[in-house]
Amino acid sequence: MFAAVECDDVCMTAGGRPILRGVTFRVEKGEMVGVLGPNGAGKTTLFRAIAGIGLPDRGRIRVFGESPSWRTLVHTALMPERGHLPKWLTAADWLTHARRLYPDWDERAEKRLADEFEIRLDGWISKLSRGEAVRLALVTCLARRAPLVLLDEPFTGIDLVSREAIASAIVRECSGAGRTVLVATHDVREFESLFDRVLFIGQGRLVADESADSIRARGQSVAARYREVFAK
Amino acid sequence: MTLDPPWQPPPWELDPSQPLYAQIAHRIRVEIAALRLGRGTRLPSVRDLAARLRVTPNTVMRAYAELEQDGLLETFRGQGTFVARDERLAHRARKRIATQALEHVRRVAADLGMELEELLRLGADSEGGAEEDVCGGGM
Repeated sequence: MFAAVECDDVCMTAGGRPILRGVTFRVEKGEMVGVLGPNGAGKTTLFRAIAGIGLPDRGRIRVFGESPSWRTLVHTALMPERGHLPKWLTAADWLTHARRLYPDWDERAEKRLADEFEIRLDGWISKLSRGEAVRLALVTCLARRAPLVLLDEPFTGIDLVSREAIASAIVRECSGAGRTVLVATHDVREFESLFDRVLFIGQGRLVADESADSIRARGQSVAARYREVFAK
Repeated sequence: MTLDPPWQPPPWELDPSQPLYAQIAHRIRVEIAALRLGRGTRLPSVRDLAARLRVTPNTVMRAYAELEQDGLLETFRGQGTFVARDERLAHRARKRIATQALEHVRRVAADLGMELEELLRLGADSEGGAEEDVCGGGM
C-alpha cells in the first residue's frame, strides 16, 4: 500500500538560500495532518513541492506512490496561501469556469459549500474581503474530489465564527471519501482538534512528528506543545 | 423500516489537553448509563459527528470502536451505529461509573484522614460559603 504522501530527505533552495533541509515524513491515506510552524519555516515551499509545482534539489517525494508532476495534479487539490483567483470575474463566473477546468468537480458539493460559506455569487472577485476570498478559494478546493487536499494557511484573516464553519466544512467534505488532508498554519487556535497528527516545521527542518493524542496523553494541548517547540 | 433521525449530542466543549477520542467515548458512555440515550437509538454518522465537534473522523471512529468493544454500541453495515439493544449493558456501565466515583471519593477521604461519612457530612455542611470557613475567615 502506498502512503498518501512520502517525503524522503527533501531539500530545496530558493535564490541560493536553503528553504527545506532534509525533511522526511510519511502521511497515510485518510489522515488529517497539521503542518505547523512560524511564517517562513518552509511550509508553503513544501506544499508546492508536494503539489508538483516546485522540484526538490535533493531527496524524493511520492504522492500515492508517484513522483509529483502534472500527472499527479488530478490527485491533488492545493489551496495556496495567497490565492490568485481572476479578479476580473464574478464569483459565479469563476465557479462556472472551475466546473469546466477540473474533471473531478462535484457540482453538489460546490452548491452546498457556496451556500454554507455565504458566497455572494454576483460579487466581483476584486471586491472580496480577505475572508470572502479565502472562502471562495476553499469552495474551489473542496468541491473537487481530489483524494489529497493541501490547505495553506486557510484561517488567516478570518473571524472566529467563519473559522468554525470552515473547520466543520473541511471535516465534512473530507471524511466521507476518506480523503487525506494537510493543513499548513502558524495559528493553531480553535483548529488543534482537527489533526490526527502534527508535523512541526522550523527553519526548513522537521522538528517533531507526533500524533495529536500522544501529545494530549501527556496532558498537553497541541497549542501548548507548539509554544514549547518554538520557544526560543 | 424507516430510521428515526439520529441523536444529536449537545455542543460539547472538549479539553484540548486530553485525548479527544476518550472524552467523546466518555460523554457517550455517560449518556447511555444515564439512560438518556435509550437502547436502539441511532448515533450520528462518523462524518456528521466529526463535523459537528470539529474533530477528525479517525477520532470519532476510535471513540465508537471503544464503546463497541464495551458492548454499549452496535454497528450494522450500511445502517449505522446504534445503542446496544441489551439494556443490561447500560445498567452495568451505570454501576461502573458509580463505583469509580465512589472509589475516588474514598481516596480523597483517605488522603484527608477521614471516614467516608465524615467527608460527606463535612462536604454537605459547608456547601455554599465553604470558601470563607476554610480560609479561616479571610478579610
